[in-house]
Amino acid sequence: MKDASIIVCRCEEVTLEQIHEAIRQHACSARETKLRTRAGMGICGGRTCRPLLDRLTMPSEGDSLTDFPLKVQPPVRPVSFAEWGQSS
Amino acid sequence: MNSVYDLIIVGAGPAGLTAASSAAKAGLKVLLLDEFMKPGGRLLGQLHQEPGGAWWNGIREAELLVLDALEAGADMETGVSVTALERTNDNRWTIWTNKGCYRTPFVLLATGAAESANPLPGWTLPGVMSIGAVQVMTNVHRVRAGNRGVVIGMNVLAMAIVSELRLAGIELAAIVLPPRNALSGKASDPDAVLSSLLRFADLAPNAMLKYGARFFQCSMLHNLALHLYPKRGIRMLGVPLQLRRCAIEIVGRDAVEGVLVADITVQGELIAGSERFVEADFVCIAGGLYPLAELAAVAGCPFRYMSELGGHIPVHSENMQTPLSGLYVAGNITGVESAKVAIAQGRVAGLSIAASAAAKKAPSEAEIKDSMEQVKRTRQEALIQFHPDIATSRAKMYQSELV
Repeated sequence: MKDASIIVCRCEEVTLEQIHEAIRQHACSARETKLRTRAGMGICGGRTCRPLLDRLTMPSEGDSLTDFPLKVQPPVRPVSFAEWGQSS
Repeated sequence: MNSVYDLIIVGAGPAGLTAASSAAKAGLKVLLLDEFMKPGGRLLGQLHQEPGGAWWNGIREAELLVLDALEAGADMETGVSVTALERTNDNRWTIWTNKGCYRTPFVLLATGAAESANPLPGWTLPGVMSIGAVQVMTNVHRVRAGNRGVVIGMNVLAMAIVSELRLAGIELAAIVLPPRNALSGKASDPDAVLSSLLRFADLAPNAMLKYGARFFQCSMLHNLALHLYPKRGIRMLGVPLQLRRCAIEIVGRDAVEGVLVADITVQGELIAGSERFVEADFVCIAGGLYPLAELAAVAGCPFRYMSELGGHIPVHSENMQTPLSGLYVAGNITGVESAKVAIAQGRVAGLSIAASAAAKKAPSEAEIKDSMEQVKRTRQEALIQFHPDIATSRAKMYQSELV
């Protein structure tokens, strides 16, 4: 099965192969992978692929992992500029 | 800026609704927010038969919980998405939503769980959806997802929903495993999947799961069971459960036309030349659940990773309090479990918050203790153990010191 035909980030159309390649070439953390490939930086804010990126870049299982590998930024839901302006 | 509430609860599912009535009955002014147009959370999709034969109708259960919360005096707003959460200098929380901003001393995050994706070629085609989405379409909106579906992934949630789709008269061509890749992990390993099926088959909430699993129960060894497992699958209420077959690609020009599947070995490797095309007009991807904890992360709550509980869990104590003053969690955000456990946890959170806020009719220490015991009892009695080590993981979490 070709990793090149598996899209991980739908918004930015980043494939599993591209992500693997970035991790292989640069020994990337989750954040660096995101910045290099743009996976998770699309219009949905990574709501679908953030856990996938976390999974691909997770060092090893265990309780030592305390934080979210990828930082979560507000707004955590899509919101229009009008709504955003009114709420503050 | 609205600051009349003592407690704002994010998520009107089983945990949030129960917490709202417990806290409101104790005298707190409570507001419940939910982003769906109807309160009830994932309860709304649930419909299954209990071992005694009684039906668990989630829509009805949700109505009862909503009624209880409203009668207790809680306010409720639906169609509201919380976008951010921040602790401000006045020792209060500011909650931003798509419909205004709130300030409150206590916040309960009861945001539940989200579904994991399991990407494979073709999964971005129209007609591919998560199995939970199909459940909502079927049971909440009463919309037929399609005429003939294929389910990719076998887990406890998928099996429950497959049974619901059968009740709704929706045809499913097959349930197959996801393809093996860096993302699918154990979900594509026949042996690991068989173990997880065995775990809940015994306690299955409906006849379909129980009878379908009889085959496995009779087999002495997993490996033998896997070797003997027929390629075309074992029918569970008419749907072939194909443990020795995986999806390779979802095929279609403008929308789903079918799924390319292939036989796999006991170890999960593709058998060359065994590819075949299964016609379908919708595909359900069943990737499992993980706790939806974005707001806890934004608030600055520390986390622990616990695979038994479904992923990254906000640190919290047994009374549902996080290390951040005034921030509580309850329900699936604390680990993926059944709605009944979420209800019991919601009560703990509502009572602990009422005590901490020195509410007019604040509960006694004993009452809170009792509500925590109730959570354990509910977990023990649960029909489906989402993971065998839930109780141990919970204990580990509660022992971890709070900052």
